[in-house]
Formats: sequence, structure tokens, C-alpha cells
Amino acid sequence: MSKTQSLTLIMVLAGFIGMIDSAYIGFNSLGGTLLPCGPASKCHEVLNSSYSHVGNISIAWLGFLFYFAISTSSVFRLWGFQQAFRFTLVASLVAFLVTTYLLYIQAFILQAFCDYCLLSAFLVMLILGLHLFLRPWKEN
Amino acid sequence: MLKATSREKVRSMKRGKNPKRKSRSVGKPLIVLVLAAVVALGTAYYLQHEQATKSDHSEPSTKQLPNTHFLTNPAGWSKGNSIAKTVLVEFGDFQCGACAAASSRVSRITKKHGSRLKVIFKQYPMQKSHGNSMLAAQAAEAAGQQLRFWEMHDLLFERQSDWAEIPDAHTLFFKYAEELRLDPGRFKRDLRDNTVRKKIYRDMMEGQLAQVHSVPTFFLNGKRISNSRDEAEFEQKIVDGIRSDQ
Repeated sequence: MSKTQSLTLIMVLAGFIGMIDSAYIGFNSLGGTLLPCGPASKCHEVLNSSYSHVGNISIAWLGFLFYFAISTSSVFRLWGFQQAFRFTLVASLVAFLVTTYLLYIQAFILQAFCDYCLLSAFLVMLILGLHLFLRPWKEN
Repeated sequence: MLKATSREKVRSMKRGKNPKRKSRSVGKPLIVLVLAAVVALGTAYYLQHEQATKSDHSEPSTKQLPNTHFLTNPAGWSKGNSIAKTVLVEFGDFQCGACAAASSRVSRITKKHGSRLKVIFKQYPMQKSHGNSMLAAQAAEAAGQQLRFWEMHDLLFERQSDWAEIPDAHTLFFKYAEELRLDPGRFKRDLRDNTVRKKIYRDMMEGQLAQVHSVPTFFLNGKRISNSRDEAEFEQKIVDGIRSDQ
């Protein structure tokens, strides 16, 4: 397996874990059960804050769409569609900016962090890093 | 090798030489993707459902379980007779209209039967629908740190319409603190203090365990009672509870 394929496989896994993570938070926003959270985290406060929704939609579901798009492009890339990552490069940059904003909200406004959001932030950074490393803009 | 094969496929698709190949080459990754999405959604739903079921199994009914001690022997802000056998626990939200109405009813009933009744208020801010409810809960708890919880509780409910929908409720809460002659510096500190927040989260966790889904929710001696708008009916339930405890 080539280096590119290995990194693409990591991207597939990141997308898959991201889908589970965001769907878990998304289902929670529909049901409202308290999530088990690390001792230092305040998931309930973060996930119930006014920043957790855009209109009536939980941000988690938007995250799910993003991770689904990442999984799509990665799987197609593995199947040989060379330019697949071009489509998600922009999405990854946008996701990175949104993640930075949400981290700012957690750190300075809510003063509370949520494990699931931190996992998502890590995945977004990993995905953007992999995109930049793979340089999709140079592929023909 | 893989790249070359795929390019070949794409070329042949473009030429329209073999339409069957086109559907096969796009079909496989699509099937993988749909499966991945279904598995991800299924796993997330299962984990979420499992969590809810665990909570249900650990605290299935407030009528049966001994570990709902926080309803029968609760800690928290109390009024009435602190050693009374009959205990009324309210899970409330300062921004909820029904809670404001219930608060007046409970106050009147406490005045009347306070010698044989202990009333406990537990925080249950519904932040999704009530944007200022958490801050109000913190204000009440911060006032509680200076032993003025019930005064702030009453003030917040009385003036609910003044602060409920404004973007910066802090300012009004500071004025209320001044009105109650609280130490403003300490109030400001306590409003954001972690101890205060932890206390609110503990109340909310207890509410979740007791399966509180709406506010106000009342428990009389650990058993849920409906929040009747008819004061006489509500009072009767409490009187019945007091009688059965004697």
C-alpha cells in the first residue's frame, strides 16, 4: 500500500469516526439524555447552549454532513478518482474555521469544554492536515 | 496499477463504450459509503439508546427505587419545616411561566402548611428553550451563597417578564442583588463560580435520573405528583401527603 493510500485510509477512518461522533451528539439533541462526559468536561452546558444550534438544527448534524462528504471523497479517492479531494479541500478549510470559532466559544464564552466536541475538533484538524499533505490541487 | 485501471474506466465511461462498467465503478464506492453511513448512524443511535436504557434501568421509577434518596431525603434550598416528614421537591426553571405561577401557589401552601411541610427547590433550567434560564439559576445560587436564595427566587419569578427575553440579563440580576443588599463583588464572583455551576448540574442530573421532562415537576415524598393549575386540588394532594405521614 502506497503512502497516499495509507493516508487516504486514515481519512476514511477519520470520516467514519466523525460520523459516529456527530450522529451521537445529534441523536442526543433530539432525545436530551445527559451524555457521559469526562470529569473535567461540561458536555451538558456546551451542547445545550444557544451556540449548539443553527435555527432548530443541531450543529452536530451539519458536522455529520461534513464527515459524510469526507468519507465520500476518501472512498472515491481509494477507488482511483484522483481529483476527489479537490471537492473537500474547501469544505475542510471551512470546517477548520468553524471549529476554531467553536473552540473559542467553549474556551472564552461558555468556559466549558465538551469531550465529543474536542474529538470532532481533532478530527477536523487531522482531515485538513491530510488534505494539505496530499496536495489535491496538484493532482490531475 | 489501481490508478491506471481507474483512468481506463473513466475514459471508457466518457466514450460511452461500456455503460455497464460506469455503474460498476461508481457503484462499489457508493455501496461502501451507504453502508458506512448506515453503520455510523446505527452505532451512534445504539450508543445513545444504550445510555438512555442504562439510566432507565438504574433509576426506572421514582416510586420504587431506594436510590432516589435525593427525592425523599433531598439536599438543597429548603423552606417550611426543615424536620417535617412530608417533603415536596420542585424541579423548576426561573424562565418558565408555569414555574412562576406554581411558585406563587407553593408559597401560599407553604405559608398555610409550613409547620408540617418541607419544600425543596431544585434547579432545572431548560436552556434550549429558555436562553437566560441558566444565568438566572446561577444568580439564585449566587444569592444563596449569601443566604438570600429564596429572596432572589421570589424576585426572579416576580420579574420574570423583565429579564426573560433580554440579551444581557446580567445587568438586571446585579440590580436585583443590590436590591437584596448582597455584597456585589461576591455576587459577581459567585455568579460564574464553578461551585455554583456544579450545584446546578447536580440538580439537573438528579432531575434526569428522576425522569423530569418538563418544568415544573413536583415530587411529594419521592412520588411524582402532577402540577395541577387548580390550587385547591394541588393543595389537597399535599394535605393528603401530610395526613398519611402522621
